[in-house]
Amino acid sequence: MKQVAVLGDEVEFTEDERDVDPDYLDFALNEWDSYATEEALRLVEAAGSGEVVVVSVGDEDAEDAMRRCLAMGADRGIRVEAEAQLDPIQVARALAEVIQSESPDLVFAGVQSSDSVQAATGGALAGLLDMPSVAVVTKIELGDGKATANRELEGGLVDVVEVDTPALLTIQTGINEPRYATLRAIKQAEEKEIDVRQPGDLGEPGYRVRKMFVPPKGEGAEMLNGGAAEVAQRIKEIVQERMA
Amino acid sequence: MARDPKHDILFEPIQIGPKTMKNRFYQIPHCNGFGSEKPLNQAHFRAMKAEGGYAAVCTEYCSIHPESDDTHRVSARLWDDDDIKNLGLMCDMLHEHGALAAAELWYGGPHAPCMETRCVPRAPSQIPSDFEHLTYPKEMDKDDIREVQGFYVEAAKRAREAGFDIVYVYGSHSYLPQQFLTPYYNRRTDEYGGSFENRARFWRETIEQVRDAVGDDCAIAVRMSTDMFMGEAGTQLERDCLPFVELVDEIVDVWDINVSGISEWGEDATPSRFYESGRMLPWQKAVKGVSKKPVLGVGRFTSPDLMVEAINDGALDIIATCRPSISDPFLPKKIDEGRLDDIRECIGCNICISRWEIGGPPVICTQNATAGEEYRRGWHPEKFEKAANADNDVLIVGAGPAGMECARVLGERGMRRVHLVESQDDMGGIMRWIPQFPGLGEWGRVVNYRKIQIDKMKNVEFIPNTRLDANGVKSYGAEIVIVATGGYWATDGLNGCTHDTIPGADASQAWCATPEQIMVEGKAVGDKVLIVDNDGYFTGVSLAEKLAEEGKQVTLMTHLGHIAPYMHFTLEAPNMHRKLHKLKVEIVTYQIPTEMAEGKVTSAHVYDEEHLTEWGVDSVVLVTQRRSNEALYRELKDSVGIDALESEGVTGFFRIGDCVAPRLVADCIFDGHRLAREIDSDNPEVPLPFKRERHVVEREAVLA
Amino acid sequence: MSVLIVTEHLRGQVRPITLELVSAAKELEEETSIAVIAKDPAAIADQVDVEGVAEIVGVKVEQDEFESDVYLQAVEQLISDRSPDVVLVGFTVNGMGFAPALAAKLGIGFASDVFALRRDGGDLVVERSFYGSKVNAEVEFPGHKRVLLMIRPTSWAPAEGDGAAVEAGLEASISGSRARHLDFQEVAAAGDVDITTADFLLSVGRGVGEKENLGQFEGLADKMGATLSVSRPLVDQGWMPSSRQVGQSGKTVKPKVYLALGISGAVQHLAGMKTSGTIIAVNTDPEAAIFNVAHYGAVADLFEVAEELEKLY
Repeated sequence: MKQVAVLGDEVEFTEDERDVDPDYLDFALNEWDSYATEEALRLVEAAGSGEVVVVSVGDEDAEDAMRRCLAMGADRGIRVEAEAQLDPIQVARALAEVIQSESPDLVFAGVQSSDSVQAATGGALAGLLDMPSVAVVTKIELGDGKATANRELEGGLVDVVEVDTPALLTIQTGINEPRYATLRAIKQAEEKEIDVRQPGDLGEPGYRVRKMFVPPKGEGAEMLNGGAAEVAQRIKEIVQERMA
Repeated sequence: MARDPKHDILFEPIQIGPKTMKNRFYQIPHCNGFGSEKPLNQAHFRAMKAEGGYAAVCTEYCSIHPESDDTHRVSARLWDDDDIKNLGLMCDMLHEHGALAAAELWYGGPHAPCMETRCVPRAPSQIPSDFEHLTYPKEMDKDDIREVQGFYVEAAKRAREAGFDIVYVYGSHSYLPQQFLTPYYNRRTDEYGGSFENRARFWRETIEQVRDAVGDDCAIAVRMSTDMFMGEAGTQLERDCLPFVELVDEIVDVWDINVSGISEWGEDATPSRFYESGRMLPWQKAVKGVSKKPVLGVGRFTSPDLMVEAINDGALDIIATCRPSISDPFLPKKIDEGRLDDIRECIGCNICISRWEIGGPPVICTQNATAGEEYRRGWHPEKFEKAANADNDVLIVGAGPAGMECARVLGERGMRRVHLVESQDDMGGIMRWIPQFPGLGEWGRVVNYRKIQIDKMKNVEFIPNTRLDANGVKSYGAEIVIVATGGYWATDGLNGCTHDTIPGADASQAWCATPEQIMVEGKAVGDKVLIVDNDGYFTGVSLAEKLAEEGKQVTLMTHLGHIAPYMHFTLEAPNMHRKLHKLKVEIVTYQIPTEMAEGKVTSAHVYDEEHLTEWGVDSVVLVTQRRSNEALYRELKDSVGIDALESEGVTGFFRIGDCVAPRLVADCIFDGHRLAREIDSDNPEVPLPFKRERHVVEREAVLA
Repeated sequence: MSVLIVTEHLRGQVRPITLELVSAAKELEEETSIAVIAKDPAAIADQVDVEGVAEIVGVKVEQDEFESDVYLQAVEQLISDRSPDVVLVGFTVNGMGFAPALAAKLGIGFASDVFALRRDGGDLVVERSFYGSKVNAEVEFPGHKRVLLMIRPTSWAPAEGDGAAVEAGLEASISGSRARHLDFQEVAAAGDVDITTADFLLSVGRGVGEKENLGQFEGLADKMGATLSVSRPLVDQGWMPSSRQVGQSGKTVKPKVYLALGISGAVQHLAGMKTSGTIIAVNTDPEAAIFNVAHYGAVADLFEVAEELEKLY
């Protein structure tokens, strides 16, 4: 899972212009990861036994998001210490050792994170661990030594895949309805100890940011002004013109 | 955040007479129930708008003489030196924020019944008021005219002394100067009646005299109704007003333009039910077309874009607000800072006005629980003190108006965690379906505003689709538990008239329904519908309107003498009646059902029980009274028990809103707000005493 | 210097993204090969024989449709065989199914959701968004001789024009597929509307608030002669079937008129509709990204506008 950065309406960049000034960032649990956590919890509950472990790469502040997953019901949390913003492949390298040591039956990752939208960490991890993987999963049924997963393609088509387990699946939003944590669960999660590990060799980054900037606005729309009535009138006129 | 450049024009200063307004935001004269006799309440109320960025703030209508006494309604007064002191405080506090102060000098004539002063009002002709039917005026002779004009002059001088920057010669709403202008009120045959020049004479002379007296120091404002919608008898735009503007334009510094007379002044203070924002722009633009002076006016403006358009379009120079300034005194600042989604928009319910119409109570506002509480409870709409017990987690059960507001304010007060838990899939509670009544769409802003604010707060989490039972609440892990489970319409006909249920009334039957069943569950009603309305506010009539629009034959029955009497106070009654009449809704008064069954209802006359009527109907809708959804609270308090809750770590257990007692949405929001403001008091369940502005005697000194 | 493009195909049809990759490759002005990994590569080859493609490399595999292990192994072998400097894959569900794994395994340069690229001297520089698409960044690959890029769909127009590609083949040895395609399922219920053929779409998003409000917009769409479509969040919440969804994980639409009410314009949604003839957007947020692609915009409350529109029809 990932604690993602949320940028508001205002932005300033760091001096080297390679990143956003952290003062302008808020943090939250990655939306995809709450679906992934929920799916994991459901599978373990349905099986009657098992454990959900959440793993993340980040600094101590990133534990906030992890505690949300623990509050939902995840059993254990492991954090791999990392300072800087790593690229997905480095994150995958940081995670790989931990995953291996846990020998899970299933590894879930969110399809993507809402801040960097790389959709790569899960896949990269599967590559490093040489695990079978299915990306963009909207339904899972566990079997014996394998699972059936629905892969949601563009255009609304579903690809039904049979995957050997252990496997890594990247989970899509909408697969379930993530449960909320009560205050009690949140408080208990606060008290839980998170296992902190040091990363191994992170290797070379896959890319490097040269410069970050605010995207230039396009010519933009011709704005229709006025109250609702005027806007509606204009819309009707435009529609009539274009549909003629 | 920064201001959107397209709103820059709203912040350009403008000259009015000898004064300069620092921006285009103007709080038009409006009532608050404080007058000159609650000067601290008055000053703090007005100063809040100045703090919020308004460049000019007005008193309410300000009586110039004891003959202009609107008791039981509360006006301001400038009769003597003590009034100068009291209203002067308002001027001082406004000036501290760089805002101009304006006094709306008022003489009501027959519309002001003088129930406190026992004076006799004067008027152009002796006809009883169309607003206060028992009040007759004295018909003015020339001496009376001079004298009353003198009252204006003396009052203007007092206003100047108090520190007012702008002084009105106020005619709108059918007050004295406008009465002279209007044939409906003026049947004179001397030089003050008849032709346009004659009818305009009184007002013109008064403006001249006031200007002579204070015009060098104060800006002279004239508030005029440009159309009374009474045809030839009333004031008309082209015949009377535009010529009047041209006639006196030179001696007026700013025009305040609206429409309507007094008996239907809801055409000016338009309820959102019937009118959109900016209703009066065409008239305001017409005046701007013939005047060389700045023009201001209201229109329930909440959207900065509409405001900018009104100016760019040549309709207004200055944007005046009344109700939007009550719902959000910080409207100008928020536009200036580009914080548009923080604007707490007026919903046009006119609850604020209803308090004045009732006469006496201080102003309240559905959207803004701090309106009227600035002084007496020290509440600031934008400032919240961190709670002394902020290190606590709060569970609020129910995200209706009370729950949402409580969550919002607790969030602002820095409570560690607030969980707002709701059984439905979204916030809003009762305000999810009420705005679905015809015309009430803007009332949904109550929910939208709170949704946006709560969404922004990191310490407040909204949890939908979760119905907590007593155990769930007990073991939730909160230190403070607040039950806000709302209310429901009685399913058995229980009502305030008979204090009993109605035999046979049973909303579990297919032929019998409550408002929720229809609006939320979509329960079907037959073609012939009888609505039993013992409520007195909008639910019965809104349902009647909705069902009639759907083609049903509707009979609306009430035990009262009027249908929806509260809507007289919200100024919605005249148009509501017109609507119902057009929709052929049958209105039946003074009747209470004695028995109902499928297909038939029997009712008795309230003052003649023997006189029974039978009604053949397909469906009956019970709008008899509401009940609190107390079950969860009762179970927690009585079955689970406070001790058990305490052993789970619950140190505070409260309930708010309709689940205590059903009431106005404004009061539910107030309830949630108050609890949150006082969550760290010794006993939050009991409201802290508020400051009462009153005269306290020194007994010994009096008797000595 | 050379570029290798991996074809994406489904049920015998090459996906538009593949031809977009050809356009992207053209910017680098390097020799471009396209790999077709399929049961019968020759049958698909014509579809990718366009101007800009020097070579089509067919890789015969046992599988009809995409399988992650198959592509992982096939593309690794293609890279080994053809030594491209740049490998282009679509930022698509299939792409996600193998490209990151491959890049990690090979330790090559990698960036996804790329929408612009160029050579700066000898260096490859690409552009992608960060922080939820609120900022863009130029990204480079110091120390990497080989880079795999996943390209954002609709960033380039699909390449056209007849090509004269050389056809080649590669024998790949695929040692098993651990995630196997079983079947396709159409999500659209039988008889439901096909929004891709509608001329006029009225589209609503999160701004609609609650499920109950959909009825109002359905009614309005009806009155206006439009078909109702929605953005992803409404489908996630189960309020509308995914057959009505416009966006990357839904349908791509190109109606004459696209009227977006209460849609802010997430990149995935914009991808599904930004080539529409005339886009009219209504949103209370003046900063909403949808205004960047709209031809007409209004900062207004969608309910108020909807109420007014109803009166006009």
